[in-house]
Amino acid sequence: MRYTLSKIGLLLLTLWAAVTLNFLLPRLMPGSPADAAIAKLAQNGPVSPSTRAAIEAQLGVPTGSAWNQYVEYLNNVVHFDFGVSYTFFPQSVASLVGTALPWTLVLVGFVTIVAFIFGTLLGVLAAWKRGSWLDTLPTVGGTFASAFPYFWTALLLLFFLGYVAGWFPTSGAYSSSATPELSVPFLLDALYHSILPATTILITSLGGWILGMRSTMINTLGDDYVTFAEANGLHPRTVAIRYAARNAILPNLTSFGLALGGVVGGSLLVERVFSYPGVGYLLYTAVVNQDFPLMQALFLIITISVLLANFIVDILYGILDPRTRR
Amino acid sequence: MSLVSVQGMSVVYEPKGALPVPAVRNVSFDLEQGDFVGLVGESGSGKSTLGFALTGLSKPPARVSAGSIFFDGVDIAGMTPSQLRVQRHGGFAMVLQSGMNALNPVRSIRDHFFDIFAAHGHVSKRDREARAVELVGKVELPASVLDRFSGELSGGMRQRVSIALALSLEPRLMVFDEPTTALDVLVQHAVMDTIRELQRSEKFTAVLISHDLGMVLEVTERVMVMHDGLIVEDALAAEILAAPQHPYTRMLLSHYGDPRAAVVEVPGLAARGGRRAAVVEPVETPSVVEPVETPAVVEPVETPAVVEPVETPVETPVETHPPAVRKREGRAAREAIVVTNVSKIYQRPSRGEQPVCAVNNVSFTLEPGASMALVGASGSGKSTIAKLITGVERPTSGSITFGDLQIDTIKRRQLKRLHTEVQMVFQDPYAALNPLHTVEYILTRPILNFSKLRGRAARHRMLELLETVGLTPVEQFAARLPHQLSGGQRQRVVIARALASDPQVIIADEPVSMLDVSLRAGVLALLDSLRETWGVSMLYITHDLLSARLVTDQIMVLNSGAVVEEGATADVLQNPQDEYTIRLLEAIPHPTVGGLVDS
Repeated sequence: MRYTLSKIGLLLLTLWAAVTLNFLLPRLMPGSPADAAIAKLAQNGPVSPSTRAAIEAQLGVPTGSAWNQYVEYLNNVVHFDFGVSYTFFPQSVASLVGTALPWTLVLVGFVTIVAFIFGTLLGVLAAWKRGSWLDTLPTVGGTFASAFPYFWTALLLLFFLGYVAGWFPTSGAYSSSATPELSVPFLLDALYHSILPATTILITSLGGWILGMRSTMINTLGDDYVTFAEANGLHPRTVAIRYAARNAILPNLTSFGLALGGVVGGSLLVERVFSYPGVGYLLYTAVVNQDFPLMQALFLIITISVLLANFIVDILYGILDPRTRR
Repeated sequence: MSLVSVQGMSVVYEPKGALPVPAVRNVSFDLEQGDFVGLVGESGSGKSTLGFALTGLSKPPARVSAGSIFFDGVDIAGMTPSQLRVQRHGGFAMVLQSGMNALNPVRSIRDHFFDIFAAHGHVSKRDREARAVELVGKVELPASVLDRFSGELSGGMRQRVSIALALSLEPRLMVFDEPTTALDVLVQHAVMDTIRELQRSEKFTAVLISHDLGMVLEVTERVMVMHDGLIVEDALAAEILAAPQHPYTRMLLSHYGDPRAAVVEVPGLAARGGRRAAVVEPVETPSVVEPVETPAVVEPVETPAVVEPVETPVETPVETHPPAVRKREGRAAREAIVVTNVSKIYQRPSRGEQPVCAVNNVSFTLEPGASMALVGASGSGKSTIAKLITGVERPTSGSITFGDLQIDTIKRRQLKRLHTEVQMVFQDPYAALNPLHTVEYILTRPILNFSKLRGRAARHRMLELLETVGLTPVEQFAARLPHQLSGGQRQRVVIARALASDPQVIIADEPVSMLDVSLRAGVLALLDSLRETWGVSMLYITHDLLSARLVTDQIMVLNSGAVVEEGATADVLQNPQDEYTIRLLEAIPHPTVGGLVDS
């Protein structure tokens, strides 16, 4: 219990630090969004002071002391008020992120978890049946598949399964005719659209989990408690799962935490290739269009997701490894 | 019918891509119900391999290549793993050497018991808890231990849990593979007593595998001695003690001695009577040493007008070992290490726990050329003292001086000067050498670090060091990698490395505890001769009172960080005053006593 409480405390502290840095960093940078916009205009001729005033008014140049700004900023963050997007004016940043986030979380998050579970199981099997085809096939296949950059795999799948064979849609998260709602036809449509991007992520990340689990599992199989469990005549399945795999999974949890943290921020390329309306795609749009409020909100979301993923893994460690609880 | 009958059995190691190595060669023996048999041999003799084969645990690359093992009339050598698994309940159990690691760190002790009950179904679900409590009670542990995880138990408790787990199979044969080797001296004794009592009350047949002939003779009735995969002697303990037949058994026996005897002798080491203690002028008991006295002791005795290193032509055949070539030109005269009222307190990492006092107000002086033993069980603070003297750790209070060096507050750049004069020899020769470097590299590094010798001179010095520690032909040994050396040879390299800077003081932390008995004497003799020919003083840290008696003149007994007894080694061991020293002495196996009483 004390372990969980201390981890929650740590999470709150790092969250505060992240939010504060997100406030500080743009203010420490030289120039301002208004300057950038004016510089663009200035290429076509001189900018009158009134134009400048208009732009600053439109973008909302901060007023008041830094402290007041900070308090106001914290208040806004708590109420999910991140301002209005430049690109998708007059939509609020919060609503944009709110629409994009579920797509990413469901697609990339779900696939990451599935890849971890599936890869770990295959790794356990490979180590347990070391030298047999159950070992060779996943190991060699996994190495082969994860050697491709994933946008390349994505393009291959798009071209052959989407374009040439025409089995799957080549872009978007749902058909252009459908409207997002919680109904069976729409969900099936979304599922159908997610197959190609999901397969891409699965293919490219599975190999890493298989290899990682296999090697730690081979180590624990040589440990004395495994030999002792065998000497005591435990059922082979008990030895493999509860003794060897149970210990072997612990070091892999750390990598799982990193992968989970990368879900929100790391999906940029996949979503770009498949034009998937997730956080990655949104971030891409924001960067291209210099949409500062949107970028700032997205950076904050990415940071928070990494922190949350680490927190989840810490808690998992506490549950799975009695040694960390002390 | 015998419970176990092994006939013409061989075990071979078949590593992939290498030639098969026979580990056990054509052994035959019978074990009767209720026998307590010892299986003794040095590392590599095949004793553990035999133990694993007996309990059906041979795993690739090991394979039973010939012969049969009849257990209760059934040959288990040819059984499949699933057939063997069923046999284990009421059959054969094994307690592993490293009981420390024999428990799953993420499962509670209760789960361990329940796993076994579930696997064999011999205890009904209702009775499991009661049965587990009963079993841990048999090994003298409280029921509360069931809720614990292995990380929360001490080494002795873990080994007891392992024994209870093995016992839960209700085995008729129990194989104990070095069950107490990893444990502390006093704990070893207690665990061994438990094993003996259990064997008597539960009446299982027991095989005790150990490298320690003394202990085996003390606890078992019959002893099998293994050497190079063969059982070279198989006789009653009393017979082996009275008239060992095989030369190998005789050699093993000759390395035992009673540290309390008037004269202690093992082959290769000079006799130690009261002589040693008499030779060294009676130095005051270290606790009363005043710092004022030190300068008086430091006389510029040494005139290091020895051979110029560069001048010595390589082709000159070096005289018989050891060529006591000291390279001490321009260096300080010999000095004593003076430790005054030193304490070391470690703060526990998590709050709420008591700080640990590892060293408590210890004072002593290590005179130049003297050898002093620091004796105690693990956790007594003896290794911490070594760390304090070498400047690795700082004392919480008190002072340590070496000549004009104030070690307790030493600066980083002075450390090099200190380490030129004070060097360590570590316990584990397998871990102390970088496996990727040749002996030449390992020895040349400190020569380049600590001396001005370069190029040919440095290489010459390196070969000289090898000669000194008796690794000849030197050229051959220089080219080897650590894994191509035996344990004893590695420890010699470690010693040679410590000598590279031509130090005045060597701190040897359990230098022989990882070595086989037959190699120990050689390494100890080397350390002893270095002291005599080089005048190096030695702080010998050990839990082994016999070796302390053999190579040291003075002794300090530590208990929980404090000195409980000190004086001349022969005096203290013959006439122990403190209760702790007496317990340590009693924990040493005495084959002469135990073996005869038992038979």
